[in-house]
Amino acid sequence: MTVAALDAPPPVREHRPRAEQSRRAWRAARVTALAEFYQWGRLASSLSMLVARCALTYWLWRALYRSTSSSAGLDVHQATTYAMLGVFYVSFRNVNRWAGRDTMTQHMLEGTIAYWFLRPVTPRRYYCIRACGDLSYGACWATLAFTFCLSTGVIAPPASTAAGLSALATMAFGLVILYYLQQLIDLACFWTVVNFQLVIMYEIVQNVLAGALIPLWFMPGWFVSFDGWLPFQGTLNIPLSLYIGRSPVSGLGRELAVQSCWIAALAVLTTLMWRRAAARVTVLGG
Amino acid sequence: MTALLRRWWRPWGLYLRINRLNLKAQTAYRGEFILGAAFGLVWQGSMILFAGVLLLRFPGLGGWKQGDVLLIASMRLISHSLYVVTFSNIGRLSLHVQEGRMDGFLLRPLPVYRQVLLTQFQVNAFGDILAGIGIFTAALLRLDLHWTPAKALYVIAGIIGGTLAEAAIQTLVSIAALRFTGVQTWTFWIDQTISTFGNYPLSVLPGAVRGGLTFALPVAFIAFLPAAVVTGHMATTGVPAWLTVASPVVALLLFLATKALWYRSLRFYQSVGG
Repeated sequence: MTVAALDAPPPVREHRPRAEQSRRAWRAARVTALAEFYQWGRLASSLSMLVARCALTYWLWRALYRSTSSSAGLDVHQATTYAMLGVFYVSFRNVNRWAGRDTMTQHMLEGTIAYWFLRPVTPRRYYCIRACGDLSYGACWATLAFTFCLSTGVIAPPASTAAGLSALATMAFGLVILYYLQQLIDLACFWTVVNFQLVIMYEIVQNVLAGALIPLWFMPGWFVSFDGWLPFQGTLNIPLSLYIGRSPVSGLGRELAVQSCWIAALAVLTTLMWRRAAARVTVLGG
Repeated sequence: MTALLRRWWRPWGLYLRINRLNLKAQTAYRGEFILGAAFGLVWQGSMILFAGVLLLRFPGLGGWKQGDVLLIASMRLISHSLYVVTFSNIGRLSLHVQEGRMDGFLLRPLPVYRQVLLTQFQVNAFGDILAGIGIFTAALLRLDLHWTPAKALYVIAGIIGGTLAEAAIQTLVSIAALRFTGVQTWTFWIDQTISTFGNYPLSVLPGAVRGGLTFALPVAFIAFLPAAVVTGHMATTGVPAWLTVASPVVALLLFLATKALWYRSLRFYQSVGG
């Protein structure tokens, strides 16, 4: 196995017309979605698993509220809606690139990360295009699942129109935070080479601290206060709390300001990390 | 007698030697090794947090007291950690098929199933077992039970049964990996479902769901049924009493049946190379 440092200057990137650039970006963005659609078996199994998980979650929360009408300030409809939307979030925030051997850590381990630095687009931009494609693909499925559950009465509609719009705005900001957080974890593989465990551990911590595993309103006060100092609540708990009417819409400005600060801080951090990563990238193989 | 003992020990010796080498290989990336060990603790910790919060916020989870529910969670965790150490590599079979390693297993003079189980040492078992022992201690402190040697032995049998039940489920899923791609997602999903729904009494769920998690996907056999016997909640299981008591034996039979089916299905394995 040889290790070669890519310390040569980056390739000259040609200036192309905007339409051509958009077409190329679209082709890169849809890679994961196409990979999913070309394997119908995998897609069908993912969907059936989602249906089973949603059903189990729904029944569990309904069963828990049989002995009480309210817990932690949430009634059965609010808690079930929150938990179900949490399931959608966990299911659609990431599209599985593992089987296609297309995760960043797999590229790093197999040496194919070198191509990221040889393409006529910067690796950072390529990462952004792919992530946008994955997020859009996941959002399409989430919208479908949400519409189905809403029309069948499994989840409740937003507490008010303002609450729905506020939830949408904070969710958009939350997705940007999520994008940067995922990027931080992926970039770590430039230093550690292998970061499988880090990626998995991040997903668990993210699920717990964002409220995807269990609504944060059920957590002890100290846990919520501690979590308030981290960026995770902004990715899920804030939009969902606004949606179910547990948080007032009057606090929207503050929530958006906090999310914006996190986005700015994470953007600066990831920019710095990309610069460092490009200076030290190693290509395994020979 | 000595020759017989040596013959009996040979496969176990080989098993331990390969596991030791696998463990050594895992330490090549030290940071990843430490994170792997911590991963089990974090993952199972999050599931315990889930069960714990439900326990505190919703009094009387299906008529089970806190200590009783903790016993289910701890038995499941300990049996899961034993499963991770001994059987969890079966869940990676689709990756071995995809990478063409399965062909090599078929050529070596060792049972194929055993070779699959020996492909990697799962370091996250350390975290799993730590979490399991922690919760088990908490359960013992809260349980209001009159312990007898028979009960203690039954708990041990229940834990071993839980390990075998989980192995049986994942072995059954892995059979599909011999023919189809994308089975890994099912393995993850089952792991997640067991971790989420195996920690508390299934009696809180509607009858049809409980039946599904008992007879279709036998999560109940992992910890719920044995814990029901020990804590005296057999009437709430929705399963005949004899079947509840015999759950560790049923788990053993399930495992033996799925393993036999696995070897039978191996005849239909088709290499990725054609």
